[in-house]
Amino acid sequence: MKRRTNLKRFCGNCDGHNSYDYPSRVFCSTRHWQGKDPIVDTLWNCDDWNQVSQECYCVREAEKARDSHKQK
Amino acid sequence: MRREDYLRNPVEHMKLDAPLTVDQLMQQFARSGSFGAGRLSTACKIFEGMLRDKDCTVFLAVSGAVVPAGLRMLIGNLIRRRLIDVLVCTGASMVHDAIEAVGGRHYKGSWVKDDRELYKYHIFRIYDVLVPEEAYVRLDYRLSDIYGEIALERKGEALSSREFAWELGKRLNDESSILRAAYEADTPIFMPAVRDSEFGFIHWLHSSQRNVKAVLNVDAFKEVPELCSICSQSPKNGMIVLGGGVPRNAVQSSVLASKKGLDYAVVVTMDRPETGGLSGSTLEETISWGKMKGEADNVMVIGDIMIVFPLMTASVIERLGPDFSRVPVMSKFWRSQK
Repeated sequence: MKRRTNLKRFCGNCDGHNSYDYPSRVFCSTRHWQGKDPIVDTLWNCDDWNQVSQECYCVREAEKARDSHKQK
Repeated sequence: MRREDYLRNPVEHMKLDAPLTVDQLMQQFARSGSFGAGRLSTACKIFEGMLRDKDCTVFLAVSGAVVPAGLRMLIGNLIRRRLIDVLVCTGASMVHDAIEAVGGRHYKGSWVKDDRELYKYHIFRIYDVLVPEEAYVRLDYRLSDIYGEIALERKGEALSSREFAWELGKRLNDESSILRAAYEADTPIFMPAVRDSEFGFIHWLHSSQRNVKAVLNVDAFKEVPELCSICSQSPKNGMIVLGGGVPRNAVQSSVLASKKGLDYAVVVTMDRPETGGLSGSTLEETISWGKMKGEADNVMVIGDIMIVFPLMTASVIERLGPDFSRVPVMSKFWRSQK
C-alpha cells in the first residue's frame, strides 16, 4: 500500500502522538522524552513532526470538534 | 475393581423447578456429577477444602484478560476477605487493574468490529472488550512519574516483581483495585512475566527521558526465592489456575523447587494438552514432575473462566457463610517490607 505524503502537518498526524483527550489533545512521546509538557493540541505542530505510518481519525475529528465549537 | 464398584453412584437428574441459589445449583451439579457440571462442582468442593484447611496457603494464578472482562472486584474481594493468600499473574492483568485505578475504563463491545476503524479511532480490542488508547496513555504518563519516585526512594536497589506490585499498590488510591487491596491486606502479588506487559514498555518511556533522575530497577530473579520460601514454609499448598501460562508454571515450579508438591489444585482453562503447552497440560502430567502430590485433590474444569470462576466463588462463599473468617497460615511467617 502506498503511503500518503500530503497529510496536514499536525500533531494528530505525527508518529509521536497517542490519544490523550480525544480528539482535541494528544500525548507526544517525543516531548515527553525531551522533558517537555507532552500534552499538546491535536491541531498543533512543531519542528520534530514526522508523518505517521498509518493514518488515524485524530485530525479529522479534532477539526470537526473545533468547527462545531466555533459555530456555538 | 469389581464390577459393582463401577456402578455405585447413579446420576441424579437436575431438578430446576424452583428458585435456586448459586450453591444450590452447584449441589445439583454435584448430584449429576457429569461432564462440566461434575467438574465444576468438584472445583467448588476443592476450593472450599483449601479454605477450611488451616494449614493451606492458597495461590491464585491468573492469565488472560479477565480483569478488563469484569473479574477485577471479585479478585480484589478475595484478597480482602483472605480467601486467597498469594496472587501470581501476568503483568498485563495488573496493568488492566492500574488502568481503572487511575480513572480509565474498559467497555463492552463485540468481537465483530471493524478493527481497521478501531485503529483509526485509537481504540483497542480484547475479544469483545474495548479500551480507548488514552486509558493506557494516562496510565503510562502517571507510571512514568511513579517509576521515578520509586527509583529515588529505593536508591538504585533492584526490586522483585512482588516489591514492585507493593509499591504500585501503595500509590494507587482506589479501593476497587487489586493492587491496592493486596497492599492493604499484605497479600503478595508476583508477576513473573512483568516486562512482557505495558509495565515493561513504560519502563522504556520512563528510562529514556532526557532528564530522568533515577531509573527503576526490577530484577526478574529476585522473586524466585520469595515465592519458593512461601511454598516451603507453608505446611500445605493449594493452587487455583485461571488460564495457565507463566503464572501457573511459576506456582507449580516453586512448589516443586521447595520439594513440597501441591496438596490441592483447580485449573480452569479452555486450552488443550496436545500441544505440549503448560496451559492445557493435565494435572496428571503435573504429578509426573512432582509438582502435585499423587493424592492431591484436583480437578481441571474445561470452560470459560468468566462463567466458571464467578460461579465457583459465589458457591464457596455461600457455603462458608457470613461468619467464616480465615487466618492465612502464611501470616505466621510472612511480612512484606513496610
